[in-house]
Amino acid sequence: MTAGASPRGLPIEFTGLSKHFGPVLAVDNLSFTVEPGRVTGFLGPNGSGKTTTLRMLLGLVHPSAGTATIAGRNYQDLENPSSTVGAVLEATSFHPARRARTHLRMAARAGGHPDKRADEVLDLVGLKGDAKRKVGGFSMGMRQRLELATALLGDPDVLILDEPSNGLDPQGIVWLRDFMRYLAGEGRTVLVSSHLLAEMAQTIDDAVIVSFGQLKAQGTLEEITKGLTGIVMRARTPEADRLGDVLTKAGIAFRRLTNEEVAMDGVTPEQIGPLLASNQIVLYELTRDGGDLESVFLSLTSGLGFADVNTLSS
Amino acid sequence: MIDALRAELLKIRSTPGAWVIFGLGFPLAVLGLLFVFAASGGFPGHTFYFADSTRLQRELLGAGYFAIEVLAPILGVLCITSEYRHKTLTTSLVLVPVRPRVLGAKVVVTAFWSILIAALTLVAVGAVGLPWNNALGGAATQVTDQAGAVLPGLLASAVLLGLFGLGFGTLVKNQIAGILITIGGTLILEPLLIGLAHAIFHYNLNWLPNRAGAALAGDVARGIGGGGGGGGAFRLLTWWQGGLVMLLWGLVPLTIGYFTTFRRDVT
Repeated sequence: MTAGASPRGLPIEFTGLSKHFGPVLAVDNLSFTVEPGRVTGFLGPNGSGKTTTLRMLLGLVHPSAGTATIAGRNYQDLENPSSTVGAVLEATSFHPARRARTHLRMAARAGGHPDKRADEVLDLVGLKGDAKRKVGGFSMGMRQRLELATALLGDPDVLILDEPSNGLDPQGIVWLRDFMRYLAGEGRTVLVSSHLLAEMAQTIDDAVIVSFGQLKAQGTLEEITKGLTGIVMRARTPEADRLGDVLTKAGIAFRRLTNEEVAMDGVTPEQIGPLLASNQIVLYELTRDGGDLESVFLSLTSGLGFADVNTLSS
Repeated sequence: MIDALRAELLKIRSTPGAWVIFGLGFPLAVLGLLFVFAASGGFPGHTFYFADSTRLQRELLGAGYFAIEVLAPILGVLCITSEYRHKTLTTSLVLVPVRPRVLGAKVVVTAFWSILIAALTLVAVGAVGLPWNNALGGAATQVTDQAGAVLPGLLASAVLLGLFGLGFGTLVKNQIAGILITIGGTLILEPLLIGLAHAIFHYNLNWLPNRAGAALAGDVARGIGGGGGGGGAFRLLTWWQGGLVMLLWGLVPLTIGYFTTFRRDVT
């Protein structure tokens, strides 16, 4: 990442953003802020309005109401849009007969960047050896990398990534994760939409969860997953009977699953760990079900109302 | 604007379809030459004859109009519809978010490539038409002396026909439909409408794109789509009237296309 001055993280702000497509309300009064220097996951099921929201931020879709700004300005009003924001929107937006390098040179020229940036970003995303190949022969993963290379041409301060891991192989996903963390570590703002929650849980610092175009939760990953009542701890122990006595004395609800297994409801590892240690109970295994990003997501987006958005973001 | 222009130039240059259209300029211009020599001949002992009048000499020089009236609008259509077909419009508008700037760059690039097509047809005239004319007994200088009368109108006509295609492509968005309608309109619909208007209403339908373009080009058009098309009584507009009408054919679809489709949401 070498094009210009050192990257500045810029905040992204969505304020009362709404979008109607005819009678369909795709985005409903969405307000949240994305902070620089962090990877923010924009999470929601398919059709929840993520892509529409990102497209409104980039001026591709006109909002019905509200604003979406970068450092307080509309994308179209930025002085050097592609030096400020790099966007990965869809991995299919290439002319199949165009070579990878030609595509990038074309994009570099449009953004006012030197042609040599094409080779630099191809190297950066691991496509240097494919520079002369036509994009039509690229796999989905290669197209994603090329799309990312396009976004990086201007060495942008802000990265907007819409489902960037679609089509990537496991190595590609790990590479992308490390890359996003690296970019955020440099101080850039990284906003990434996805519905691959296990992957996102390993990548993001903050999460914004939407469903049916509405904000369901926003906060750090820790804030969003803490204090949830849906956590179930499972312990496997040769002392299941004694563990039952300890839990009863501590007032913790539990269920015997097998001779060796006990499930404890509504407790966190931080609560149960010291309790077991102080009672010197031998453990073979202690696992947590629920209370992770996936559980929160499923609860919030299935309309069960796991937690109130105001609680989470406070 | 310069950045957008440089990008659009590379974009069209790296689109194989544009080169196919450009390359067709040569054989179609040769086909146009056939019509010109056939028109000058056709009497006993001479199927083809050299351009022996000022009018035929101008027609020989403008033989490429046949290629231009078919290819320039298709190029314009291709320039915009390939963005929709391959979904590259998203990338284009993210990189250059000011939409009039993107469309403006496409206008310039379409105009430039339309001139390239016209130039290639002139190469065909120089490489095939003039030697053929000489072989039939004519003199090359008699033809080239007409350059001042023919070339400005021919080039202007090429530019405006290209812009007409660009505007039309902006309206229809679908590449296949845009190209088919353009070819069908030029080769079938327009001559048919002209013939019907003349036969039924005795009306000179001379303001349709290709006839207006032919007028701007100095009434040099021959061939399937060119010439009168409505019989001997058909009259083209004057060159300046043709120019004005062509300007409208270029700008009106482009303006409507901009406000109805190009400004819309890109989802």
